[in-house]
Amino acid sequence: MARVRVFLAVLFLLFTSSPVHGADNGSDSVLESVPDLEKAMYLNLKSYPCVRLLNLLGEIGCSNPGNDKISAPIVRLKSGTISLARPSTVLLQEEQMQDFFLRVSGDMEFSKNVAGVLVEPSETVNMSSGFSPADKFPQSAFAPYSNTSYEWNLPGSGIMWNKYDFPVFLLAEESISTLKEIVGEGNEASPENVAEFDLVMQTTKLGTHDSETCLKDQTCLPLGGYSVWSSLPPINISSTVTKPIVFAVASFDSASFFRDRSLGADSPISGLIALLTAVDALSHVNHLKNLKKQLVFAVLTGEAWGYLGSRKFLQELDLGSDSIRGLSSSMIEQIVEIGSVGQSLGKGGTLFYAHAGGESSGTKVILKALEDASESLGSDNVKVKKASSMNPGIPPSSLMAFLRKNTSASGIVLGDFDSAFSNKFYHSHLDNACKLKIFFFKRKITKKMFFLHFYQVIFCSTTANIKTSSVAAAAALVARALYIIANGDATLDLMALNDIKVNVSLVEELVGCLVTCEPGLSCELVGRYISPSNGDCPSHYVGVFQDTPSASQKPSYVDDTSRFLWNFLADMTSATRDGTDSCTGDCSNVGDVCIGSETEGGGKCVISTTRYVPAYSTRLKYENNIWHVLPANPSDPMESVDPVWTESYWNTIGLRVYKVESPLYDRLVLAGGVFVTFASYLAVVIARTQLAKVVKRD
Amino acid sequence: MTVAAGVGYVLIALGPALSLFASVIAKKPFLILTLLSSTLFWLISLIILAGAWRAFLPVKSTELWPYSILILTSVGFQEGIRIGFWRLFKKMEDMLNAFADRVSKPRLFLTDKMLLALAGGLGHGLAHAVFFCLSLLTPAFGPATFYVDKCPSIPFFLISAIIALGFVIIHTFSMVIAFNGYTEGKRKDQIFVPFAHLIAALITLINLVPGGCNIGLPLLCIMAGTTLYYSWQLVWRRLTEHQTTRSSD
Repeated sequence: MARVRVFLAVLFLLFTSSPVHGADNGSDSVLESVPDLEKAMYLNLKSYPCVRLLNLLGEIGCSNPGNDKISAPIVRLKSGTISLARPSTVLLQEEQMQDFFLRVSGDMEFSKNVAGVLVEPSETVNMSSGFSPADKFPQSAFAPYSNTSYEWNLPGSGIMWNKYDFPVFLLAEESISTLKEIVGEGNEASPENVAEFDLVMQTTKLGTHDSETCLKDQTCLPLGGYSVWSSLPPINISSTVTKPIVFAVASFDSASFFRDRSLGADSPISGLIALLTAVDALSHVNHLKNLKKQLVFAVLTGEAWGYLGSRKFLQELDLGSDSIRGLSSSMIEQIVEIGSVGQSLGKGGTLFYAHAGGESSGTKVILKALEDASESLGSDNVKVKKASSMNPGIPPSSLMAFLRKNTSASGIVLGDFDSAFSNKFYHSHLDNACKLKIFFFKRKITKKMFFLHFYQVIFCSTTANIKTSSVAAAAALVARALYIIANGDATLDLMALNDIKVNVSLVEELVGCLVTCEPGLSCELVGRYISPSNGDCPSHYVGVFQDTPSASQKPSYVDDTSRFLWNFLADMTSATRDGTDSCTGDCSNVGDVCIGSETEGGGKCVISTTRYVPAYSTRLKYENNIWHVLPANPSDPMESVDPVWTESYWNTIGLRVYKVESPLYDRLVLAGGVFVTFASYLAVVIARTQLAKVVKRD
Repeated sequence: MTVAAGVGYVLIALGPALSLFASVIAKKPFLILTLLSSTLFWLISLIILAGAWRAFLPVKSTELWPYSILILTSVGFQEGIRIGFWRLFKKMEDMLNAFADRVSKPRLFLTDKMLLALAGGLGHGLAHAVFFCLSLLTPAFGPATFYVDKCPSIPFFLISAIIALGFVIIHTFSMVIAFNGYTEGKRKDQIFVPFAHLIAALITLINLVPGGCNIGLPLLCIMAGTTLYYSWQLVWRRLTEHQTTRSSD
């Protein structure tokens, strides 16, 4: 038994220095030391937490209710459960999530016994109607029109915007088998399995329950990051910009119920990838300098949390900061935003919808350009249609911020949907590239696209929430349309237009790097520019703004995705120097930037206009080492509806599971030990007296 | 399993040892010394065994017979050492008696010699309990419990404590029986001890079989009880005989 094994193992341990490899038959691995025993007793489950976020009015998200860890026995939620008998850890399937959280928010009797929640990812996802914890009209307060009850996100339940006073964790796929071993099917005998949650939030500990107080008490940090903009071709810094600007925008942050599981494959990364591919396609055109308008690309972050990126960008434009030197808001004539474009495969080709916003003469130009581009793509069958006039206006997008700031602006949001999102998993942890469900395409596919689908099936063998052919089609459409718009009213060079071709393998690479965990950020493309500091799995949650805001173009806390985008855009839009200097930071020539400085071989200096622009709430000001919330600027209608999101500080976050005995058992063991001791004492005393009598018999 | 259970396990494993120590051994410093040196002796024997077996460990087999060979050799070696221990004890007894004669004090009584044997045995038992049970018991004071695959009905720490209890009793009283057996030259006593030790050790192999602990633990307790009973009978007989011989001269 274990005793003999331990005997052997301990003996062996006394005389060897190298640890012994056990576990020949897998299930019963050899324990060699007390730490091994503890590891076998306390199982750490890899999981993703839901954390505490705060705004000006209160809190959302999850947290331990006090300063300590919470442990409660695990109970599987069955469909007929009316109430819980005692504080328990509820184990849910993904399909039960929405109903459960809606119930918890409404039913106090039920929720008081919910000590913690574990969500088990389903191996066969059976959610054909979709799942979205976001609202039905995300960020409706920012819309430039008044119909805020319109439903853009049909499956939206809004559960991520509620406050929960218990910890919630999503188990990682690797933990499913461990959990199944432990929990089995409803055995409630002693010993019970208990889950212990460590999700203590600083704001709960110190009682600061809204953004203003927590920022003052330094128990939280504001959400934010770094957006990147780049111009193609690079702008000559010394001369002021005289050309009007065509502004192409995409956002790259998503949100979800679980902080570290926001991939946002379709919304918005498909749009980001389309933009990056379009930049690559356009970078091969040699005569961009001669076009009437200047192309500027911007990738914004923080858009899911109050349009932080776009609003801050606009504020910087107003202030004329260093970060946007070379741009001026009056010169921006057209704005083209690429929204979700990953699901547009329909019968015979791809179809995109152009949602127009703002002044109509400007939008007509963009629409015409899109139609011309679609025509030029001919046999590839990429169609674009104006969105339905029954829509109240543009869908939730960065363009909303641009329009509310400047009503004379005009722009288009390109998307794969018309009156409601086609993405059934908007802002959920399921908006990823690989879903575990086998689905066979029953569509007639053109020869070129068939090859793409086939490749996709090998790569992932599932239905993905993002289809590379759709993204590639969007990229081609946008690249050609941008060329046409930038050409202005000059005669269009059709040969040059038809030469603009999209690199489909780049699209696949970017999907692999930005939306999957294999290869994730360790892919070759990303490795060319940065060394990722946060593991392989990309995460598109905007995160907290850890820097002290400064005008420097070398900020200290930029996340992996932003750094990759900066380097990638700088590379794509660069006019390379003759004689590539190897650099690790600064370049000898003013105006040059060093790309790939983090990589092993060092970077190279290129001529490029690529800048970081901070993205955080325009209502925040950093002064005396503290973030202050400023009163809303009356001339900016968005400031009064800005929630000013912050995330609480936390120390460690962890989840472990172990078996416990009932308290009765513990008391019995103690009683047993005491009994054995006293009984033996009694026996010794009696024996002694008896023997003493024998010895003294004479 | 919480502090209460942890303390409970310590008391189960060491209860009788503590009682014996408090009521019998603690009063005589020489017995404490004997106890400590026998603990050391036993640990050294383990180290030598481990060194000898090093090349063959770990035993990766799922069969039981390699473990039986291991147990056979280990028990054999320890019993051999016990004889050596007894010889040392005899030498010490002669020295003590010679010293007593010189200072005109009484020689060692029979009870003294038996107490020395008891202390020696208790030293062995204590070493066993500390080494095989107490050293693993720290996690038992935490909130979690542990069950081994092969024994899903009894918690691991409880099994450990009960086995330690059994062996404390077996080691302690085996020494009393053995010393008496070697002194008197009685074959029956001399054979009983190695056999009891061997059988008890082999009984623990039953625990390696799935569900075996439900049989192994009670058997071990029966073995311990047998040793205790045998030792009591022997001591009673010896002391009564000794009294009779004394009163008859």
